[in-house]
Amino acid sequence: MVDVAMVGAGQTKFGNHPLGLKGMWSEAIEQAISSVDHGIQTTDVDEAFIGSIAFGGSQLGNTAALLTEHSGMEGVSVRRVENACASSGFALRDAWMAIKSGQADVVIAGGIEKMNDLSTSRKRYWLGVSGDTEWERLAGLTFPGTYALTARRYFHEFDSNHDDLVHVSVKNHMHGFENEVAHLRKQVSFEKAQSGFMVADPLTLYDCCPTSDGASAVVLVADHLAHKFTDTPVWVKGSGAGSDHLALHDRPSITQLRATQAAAKRAYATAGISANDVDLAEVHDCFTIAEVLATEDLGFASRGEGGRFAREGEGRRNEGHVTINASGGLKSKGHPLGATGTGQAVEIFKQLRNQAEPARQVRDAELGLTHNVGGSGATCAVHIFGRDR
Amino acid sequence: MDIQRISNQDGHFACSKYGQQWAGPDGDRLTLALALLKQLSAETIALNSFADHLEYTPSVSIDEIIQLSTGWIIDEDASLQLHAHRKGFVVAITESKEEPRWPDFDTTEIPVETQNELNEQWNAEVSGVSQGAYVSQAQHVLASSSRLGLMAQVNQEKLVWPPRQLNSSGQRIDSPTVQLSETATILTWTRLSAAGAPSEFSGRAPVLDGVGTVLVAFDEGPKGVFMLADDENGVPEIDGTVRFEIRRLYGQDGVIHYGLKAILTKS
Repeated sequence: MVDVAMVGAGQTKFGNHPLGLKGMWSEAIEQAISSVDHGIQTTDVDEAFIGSIAFGGSQLGNTAALLTEHSGMEGVSVRRVENACASSGFALRDAWMAIKSGQADVVIAGGIEKMNDLSTSRKRYWLGVSGDTEWERLAGLTFPGTYALTARRYFHEFDSNHDDLVHVSVKNHMHGFENEVAHLRKQVSFEKAQSGFMVADPLTLYDCCPTSDGASAVVLVADHLAHKFTDTPVWVKGSGAGSDHLALHDRPSITQLRATQAAAKRAYATAGISANDVDLAEVHDCFTIAEVLATEDLGFASRGEGGRFAREGEGRRNEGHVTINASGGLKSKGHPLGATGTGQAVEIFKQLRNQAEPARQVRDAELGLTHNVGGSGATCAVHIFGRDR
Repeated sequence: MDIQRISNQDGHFACSKYGQQWAGPDGDRLTLALALLKQLSAETIALNSFADHLEYTPSVSIDEIIQLSTGWIIDEDASLQLHAHRKGFVVAITESKEEPRWPDFDTTEIPVETQNELNEQWNAEVSGVSQGAYVSQAQHVLASSSRLGLMAQVNQEKLVWPPRQLNSSGQRIDSPTVQLSETATILTWTRLSAAGAPSEFSGRAPVLDGVGTVLVAFDEGPKGVFMLADDENGVPEIDGTVRFEIRRLYGQDGVIHYGLKAILTKS
């Protein structure tokens, strides 16, 4: 079967972005194209998959065609991929599958979201559209609420408390501080993160990722073309995806994400590796409790040990067995919904090619993982990347 | 809801615990009537002019709300009559179609500003075009027996609630036929600040100092998420219990959506 190589990757800075949709997407494509060492033309692209929740409704239909038209790819076969915050993780998976199946040789996977030009009420609406509208959202829940329910239950079931979440927040802000494309480039003390104002009890402001604008894109090619474009491709060694009940109350347990577990199992199997082999992971820490669950569901910590994992700093850059969220994660790098999944792949591309800012480069990393979750865990895509084929 | 009830030779009368000037943050004449009906043995009752005195139109018919949540059957030929005060938040059940003599109730002082702010928010919600999540009125009606009456489906000897279409074998699950118990156990809870509340509730959340929500398990197995009501003086606890009452959930597109909210019964 065809192997898939990532030969280019780029993104806008995440945050309050001055550019509009077309401008942000074009910038991400420019960055991705220019990162291809031996050069590539947009006309080389066979297919494109663009993840987005549709940025506040400004272009709900035919989103992808508009964006490719404005980024030099008019005529390419393109579609929008929507799986809530996992949209571009699934765009990446679709791109991988397109090449794997032999139907395409050069594929763009990307994502985009524009959130910060919306009114407060519209922003709240769009942040909430991916939950179970009828039985969860209209019973008073937003995503801060669903993750707060999860956090409180986690503390009840296991030896953990809110301080463990504070450790996640402090670590990710520390990692993101050196990241030039991060939304919140500021270090946060333990005491400050402990005392943030309550958003959804027990989650405070410092447990919640920011609402970001941003776009990201990666260039994937079939193995026979990899060295035409670069001497140092990053191989997409594994891909897995899973889904679960949309509403928390339909799940057997709310302290683990079965979608993540299924996606990870499939990704590890296709890559032929285990969790112990992973050197760095970009995990979906939309809320700090989500990182704690992810470390367990991805196999970096045993069930119920995610709190201890965070408390003991096992995910800190170059300190533990695996670095978790070297980019700063969603908490610090930012979370432009549809752009997050391929944004994680951009980070892995840089790290595995030793192109991250020196102060935050993960040493000797051979294998990286991305973990992109939709909503409170209804969908998840996991990818494994390696320096070696 | 906690009501003040007076029963005399004219009939049964009820207002909220605050008195007849206010029915509470998510209460109205309909929720008062439901609370009073629940305290009495279910029979048949005529609505009389009751509907004319509601502030807003419910998304599901009043008949259906009353029947599903209290067991009372609406029959315009019934001997018992449901009344609502034209101005005050007082309801009555009498044997006469004539407007009853309304008794006086105790009044608890509630800041007028709070009442006015909440009333304005309800008015804004109902009269505004939805900027939030949307569930059509038809969808509310389709699921009303589950939403208002806790009716569950039976699938392979297990109960399913809220309702779904097909089971994991791809077979259609029959309509709900079994009523879940009216109490449940708290698995976890949160309190959303104004910043964390859904846009539908963001106007009321700051006035109420947040929105409480619980995830509960029914004894029969199904789980569900409910907003808390009347929790000003209580903090939920995991493994504590709740009961359920019909309250206003939210307003949208000209109607009020009613549904079950959880009331703490043990902390």
